[in-house]
Amino acid sequence: MSEEVRREPTGMTASGVSYADHLNRYGIFVFAVLLIVVGGLTSPVFLTSKNLQNIFTEAAPLGIVVIGQCLVILVRGLDLSVASVMATAAVIATEFNAVSNAMIPVIFLVCIAFSALVGLVNGLLVTKRQVSPFLATLATMIVLQGIRFSTTKGAPSGSLPEGFRFLGTGQILGIPTGIVALLILAAFFCYLLHKTGFGRRVYLVGNNPAASNLVGISSDRVTISCYVLSSVCACIGGLFLVGYVGSIDNFVGQGYELLSIVAAVMGGVALTGGRGSILGGLAGALILTVIFNLVLLNGLPSEFQYIIQGVIIIAATAFYMLRRTN
Amino acid sequence: MSLLTLDRETGRWSLAGSKATWVVLGLIACLTVAGFLLSDRFGTLRNFSNLFGQAAFLAIIAIGQTLPVLSRGIDLSIGSVIAFAAVLTSGLIDNDPSMMLPVTALVLVLGVAVGMVNATASHFLKVHPLIITLGMAAVLRGVMLVYSDTPVGGTPEDYATFAMGRIMLEEEGLTIDIWSGSGLSLAGVFCLLLYLLVYFFLKRTRSGRNIYAVGGDPDAARLSGISVYRTLLVTYGFSGFCAALAGIYLVSQQGVGSPELAVKAYELDSITPVVVGGTMLSGGVGGVGGTLLGVILMAMLGNLLNFLDISTFYQWIAQGLIIIVAVSIYVERRRRE
Repeated sequence: MSEEVRREPTGMTASGVSYADHLNRYGIFVFAVLLIVVGGLTSPVFLTSKNLQNIFTEAAPLGIVVIGQCLVILVRGLDLSVASVMATAAVIATEFNAVSNAMIPVIFLVCIAFSALVGLVNGLLVTKRQVSPFLATLATMIVLQGIRFSTTKGAPSGSLPEGFRFLGTGQILGIPTGIVALLILAAFFCYLLHKTGFGRRVYLVGNNPAASNLVGISSDRVTISCYVLSSVCACIGGLFLVGYVGSIDNFVGQGYELLSIVAAVMGGVALTGGRGSILGGLAGALILTVIFNLVLLNGLPSEFQYIIQGVIIIAATAFYMLRRTN
Repeated sequence: MSLLTLDRETGRWSLAGSKATWVVLGLIACLTVAGFLLSDRFGTLRNFSNLFGQAAFLAIIAIGQTLPVLSRGIDLSIGSVIAFAAVLTSGLIDNDPSMMLPVTALVLVLGVAVGMVNATASHFLKVHPLIITLGMAAVLRGVMLVYSDTPVGGTPEDYATFAMGRIMLEEEGLTIDIWSGSGLSLAGVFCLLLYLLVYFFLKRTRSGRNIYAVGGDPDAARLSGISVYRTLLVTYGFSGFCAALAGIYLVSQQGVGSPELAVKAYELDSITPVVVGGTMLSGGVGGVGGTLLGVILMAMLGNLLNFLDISTFYQWIAQGLIIIVAVSIYVERRRRE
């Protein structure tokens, strides 16, 4: 309980962050820069613009998913259904079998509406039925997987309009399209989180749901909104990923549920809620992608990426926890 | 596990156990009735005997998951430990009968060691077990792929006894036959014994009750003199042991260990029977009795849907819906705030 009390002011400051949070944020960026320096020293190819562009193109879908995951974790939740939402959005998109690029906005709208529904179910289960977020989102993940496989009979067919390829691999003014989308979304959500009443409510609910109810904020409504936004982000991430991969299967985005949680936690978003920021989570996503890239560039067997990934997950979270308890 | 209990204060008898017990028993009854009505092959002795054996794998991983969940944690490294144990067992035995026992023992010890590392890291680094075991899963998966990224080695025919053995009652007494279609599954009997053993461990021994105490309120447990660290060592050591055992079971069943097993997400499969059986993710509430019922429910569901020629895809939908329905009925988080 005493911990709760101490944490309250953190979320209540106008900017939504405190000195300690600034330090936590700082840490991850220093680490990201160090990693890039190490990358540049160990591999001559790493800092070429071609390779950096690859890294960013790959990091974009993960980053978009991480934004939503951060929101959910901020309100003491967890979203395991993001990967399933990504794949389902991709499958819905191909089921249209559209040729004309004019269909892209329609496809996006349908997918977003569907994913918002999934997020709503998650949110309602967590708030109204008090199901633990882990189980609620695990269950929707499994149900979605079942629906996806049974409608596609295990092998999705259909095709995407040419324009999807542009979303995944194209460039706007020399910047990969995915990154442009990520930056727009990140800017929007940072504004939402740090400059609006909604953002302050998110931190307050994450820090102390009971207190937020006492001051007249419906913690349920805030929590549900976060789950809906997370699903929508996952859907957008999935559509960009399918554009990048170029082909469709039932497992688009597999593994992103855990990667996105890991990125958020590495970036200083505390699983106990109310602490951290989207920028930290995005730095986490960038670090994960850079690690994968470095493992490949340095000619290490790809198995090593798992080992390094695991060690970094544990080390990064331990870093935050030990700092916090001191 | 008596079904009626006497409330000493009010002097009234009431139904024992949680709502969960009755919900799951009810669902199992519904499935049984549906099975008898919809399929003539479901209600045969032979099918029930098969079902008993088929449930063994899920039973092993679910009981392994039950203890960490009771202690307010979770073990997501189970899937990787299963795959690693399977690959290592089949790779090290490499069709040499004399290696069967030592390798099996080694793999089980390694499983316990992995669990203890999880417990130690989680306790001293103060990181949630979710993250620690996830990190451990990634590391183990990498180490396993370094060891071998294709199915490796193999096992002698005798090794199939554990998973495929059937206990037969013949004139000369009890015998164990590997390839017989009838008889009582050896692995099934083994699992029942394991559940009984753990049931008594949790209810009747100090270490067992400490797991409930730590899961209910870690701070209170520590203040009342319980060593939280030692309790976690037992808890995660046991889940690591069960995961290694499950890997050995798969090798015994399939004859060879494949690294592909790592992507099957067994860690998530292991959670379903636990929570459906009424063990709360918030710790301290539940037990292996509920998990056993959860295992029976999930195994029967799969069995029945197979008979009805319904694809695995719909089984996923059913599994997800069962989690949602069950857990929404139990009301997961205690309303303390």
